[in-house]
Amino acid sequence: MSAVIEIAGLRKTFHSLRQGRRVAVDGFDMLVEAGQVHGFLGPNGSGKTTTLRALLGLVRPDAGRMRVLGADSPERLPDVAGRVGAIVESPQFFANFTAHRTLRLLAVAGGVPTVRVDEVLEQVGLRDRGHERVKGYSLGMKQRLAVASALLKNPELLILDEPANGLDPAGIREMRDLTRSLAEAGVTVLLSSHILAEIQLICDHVTIVSRGRRVAYGPVEEVLAGFDQHQWRVRVADPEQAGDLLGRAGLSVTAGPDHLVVTGVEDPETISRTLGEQGVWVRELVPLRPDLESVFLELTGDHEHMGVEVPRQVDGAPPSDGVIDLDVRESREVDA
Amino acid sequence: MNLVRAELERLAARRFVQLMVVLLAAAFAVTVVTTLAGSHRPSPAELSRAQAQAAESVREMEMTYDRCLRIREGSLPPAENDYLPRDCAQIDPAQLDELPTAADYLSGVFVFAKEAEPLLYFLIAFLTLFGFLVGASYIGADLNSGGVVNLLLWRPRRSTVLAAKLGTLLGGLVGLSVLASVAYLGAFWLIGQASGLVGRTGGDFWPSLAAIWGRGLVLVLLAAALGFAVATLGRLTSAALGAVAAYVVVWELGARLVFQILQVGRPDRYMLSSYLAAWLSGEVRLWDGNACGPGISGYCDGSYTVTWPSGLVVLLGLTGALVAAAFTVFRRRDLM
Ligand SMILES: Nc1ncnc2c1ncn2[C@@H]1O[C@H](COP(=O)(O)OP(=O)(O)O)[C@@H](O)[C@H]1O
Ligand SMILES: [Mg+2]
Repeated sequence: MSAVIEIAGLRKTFHSLRQGRRVAVDGFDMLVEAGQVHGFLGPNGSGKTTTLRALLGLVRPDAGRMRVLGADSPERLPDVAGRVGAIVESPQFFANFTAHRTLRLLAVAGGVPTVRVDEVLEQVGLRDRGHERVKGYSLGMKQRLAVASALLKNPELLILDEPANGLDPAGIREMRDLTRSLAEAGVTVLLSSHILAEIQLICDHVTIVSRGRRVAYGPVEEVLAGFDQHQWRVRVADPEQAGDLLGRAGLSVTAGPDHLVVTGVEDPETISRTLGEQGVWVRELVPLRPDLESVFLELTGDHEHMGVEVPRQVDGAPPSDGVIDLDVRESREVDA
Repeated sequence: MNLVRAELERLAARRFVQLMVVLLAAAFAVTVVTTLAGSHRPSPAELSRAQAQAAESVREMEMTYDRCLRIREGSLPPAENDYLPRDCAQIDPAQLDELPTAADYLSGVFVFAKEAEPLLYFLIAFLTLFGFLVGASYIGADLNSGGVVNLLLWRPRRSTVLAAKLGTLLGGLVGLSVLASVAYLGAFWLIGQASGLVGRTGGDFWPSLAAIWGRGLVLVLLAAALGFAVATLGRLTSAALGAVAAYVVVWELGARLVFQILQVGRPDRYMLSSYLAAWLSGEVRLWDGNACGPGISGYCDGSYTVTWPSGLVVLLGLTGALVAAAFTVFRRRDLM
C-alpha cells in the first residue's frame, strides 16, 4: 500500500480582528493509502475544511508536513495537481455561466480534452441541465457540478468535502453509488462529512477529528472494535429476578424497560449458563455492537454539548435510517 | 497558453465587459450620427467664400505685422490703443504654426483634422475608465465567486494564475483599444471624406495624433493594472473604486486645501493629477501661488513645469509598486 495523503503535525491558527485567534487545526495527523475510501469525520468546525484547504495549498499552515501522491504540499503540488480532483466546502461557480461552459473553461485551463465535460455531466446526473446557467441551480445541483469539476481530470485521488451537502436523499444515494463505482475503478477517495451514516455506509477507513486533532483512525471495523464494550441485550420473562441473579454472579447489569443489558462479557455462554442454572430461560440474547455514531459522539465529546444523554451503544440496527446532522450543535458555525 | 485562452473567454463572457463595450458602441454611434446630421459637404460657393475669408484674415495679419515693424522702426507713430508685442516676430504670420484656412470659416461642416484630437481624447478617457473598472471587477468578482480557488485547484501556482489574469486583461485591452481607435477615427475620417472636409492632415498631423494615442494606450493599461492590483489587495472590486474616491477626496481636494492654508510651495507637485496631465499632454505648466509673495517686487514668474518623463515615472512607479504588492500578498494569502 502506498500513501496517497500524509499529514503530520498540521497546525493552523486564524487571526481575525473581530474574533481574535482561532485554532482551527491543532497538530493533526492523517494517513490515507491508495485504494481506500477514507472517511474524514468530525463535527462542524472541527477543522476538516481547513485541513483540506491546507493540503491543497489554499491556506498556509503554521506548522506541519503534508504530502499528496508523494509530493510535498504546497511546494510540489503543481506536479500532482493534474491527478487530484477536489472540492472544498461547497465550491461556488460564476453564476452567469452554464455548467457546461464552467467545466469547459476548467478543462481548457487544465489541458483536459473537452469531451470529458459531457462525460462528467452524465456521471453526476446533470447531462440534461448542463446548458442552463448555474444561477438557476439548486444547492444540490451546484454540489453535483462541483463533483463533476473534480472528476473532470479523471483523478487518481478524489477529495470531497461534505459532498452530501444540499443533496436530497435520492441525490445522496446517487452520490454514494458514484463514489462506490469510482472506488471500484481504483480511485482513492477522501470523503469529509459530519454525517456519520454517510461515512459508515461507504468508507472502509476513517479518521475522526475533534477540535483540530485526530482522535481515532483506522479501518472502520477496527475503530468500532476498539470501542466494543461487549454488551449483550437479554430478554427473559422476569427481568427483575434475572437481574438479581446476574448481579449476584458478579456481572454488570443495567435494566431497560423490558430487557437487561449486560456489560463486559466476552462469551454469551456465561449469561445463558448463569440464568439456566437457576431455571430462568433466556428468550433473546443479542450482542450490542458499537456503531460509528456512538464512537464518534464519545470521541468528540458531543454528548456533553448536546445536553442529551447518549447511550454508549445502541441497538444493532444500522443507523442509516436516521441521518444525524450535528449542525445544531454549534451556532457560531456557518458552513455556507 | 491554455490558461490565457480560458481567461480570455472568461473575460469576454463577463456581463460587465459586455455592458461597457455596448456603452462604448452606443456612445460611438450617437457621436457619429449627430456629427453626420450636423455636417454637410460644403458647396463650391461656400468653399470659395470661406477661402476668401481665410485669405482676408491672413492678409490682415500680414498688415498688422507690417505695421508693427514700421512702428518699431519709428517710421510710423503708434495709434492710441495699438497692442504691440515687444518683438514683432511674435506676430509674424510666416512663423505661425497654423495659418487660418478655409476650414475655419465653414459653419456646419465637420473637419476631421480639427476634431480628431478632441475625439481621440474622449476615446482615451472612456477606455481608461473602462480599463480601470474592468481590471478591478474582473479579479474582484473572481476572488469572490470562487473562480480563483477553482482555478488554483487545477493550477496550484498562484503567481502564474494571477499573471495569466493580468496578462489577459492587458492584452485584451490593447486589442480592444486598437480596434476601437481604428473604428472610431476611421469612421470620423470617412465622415470628413463623405460629408465634410478631411482638412489638413499633412505634416506632423498623423505623427502627433499617433503620439497622443500611444500615450493614451499606456494610460489605459496603467489604469487597468491599477484597478486590478487594488482589487486584488482589497479582495473586492469596490476596494478599487473606494481607493480612487478616497484618494481624490482626501488628497486631491483635502490635502490641496491644507497645503494652501499652510502655504506650502508648489502643492501640485504632490498631486497625481499633475503627472497624469503631464504624461498625456507632454508637459504641464503649473503656477505656484506662493512664489510671488508681497516681498517680491518686479517681474516674478511663479510658474514651473512638470514634463512627461516625470509623469511617466510617477505613474509607472505607483502602478508597478501596487502590482508588485498585489502579487506578493496574493501569493501568501489564505484563500477561502
Ligand atoms: N477564514 C477563517 N477565519 C477565521 N476562522 C476560521 C476560518 N475558517 C475556519 N475558521 C475556524 O476554524 C475552525 C475550523 O473550521 P473548518 O475547518 O471549516 O471546520 P469543518 O470543515 O470541520 O466544519 C472553526 O472554528 C472555524 O470557525
Ligand atoms: Mg467544512
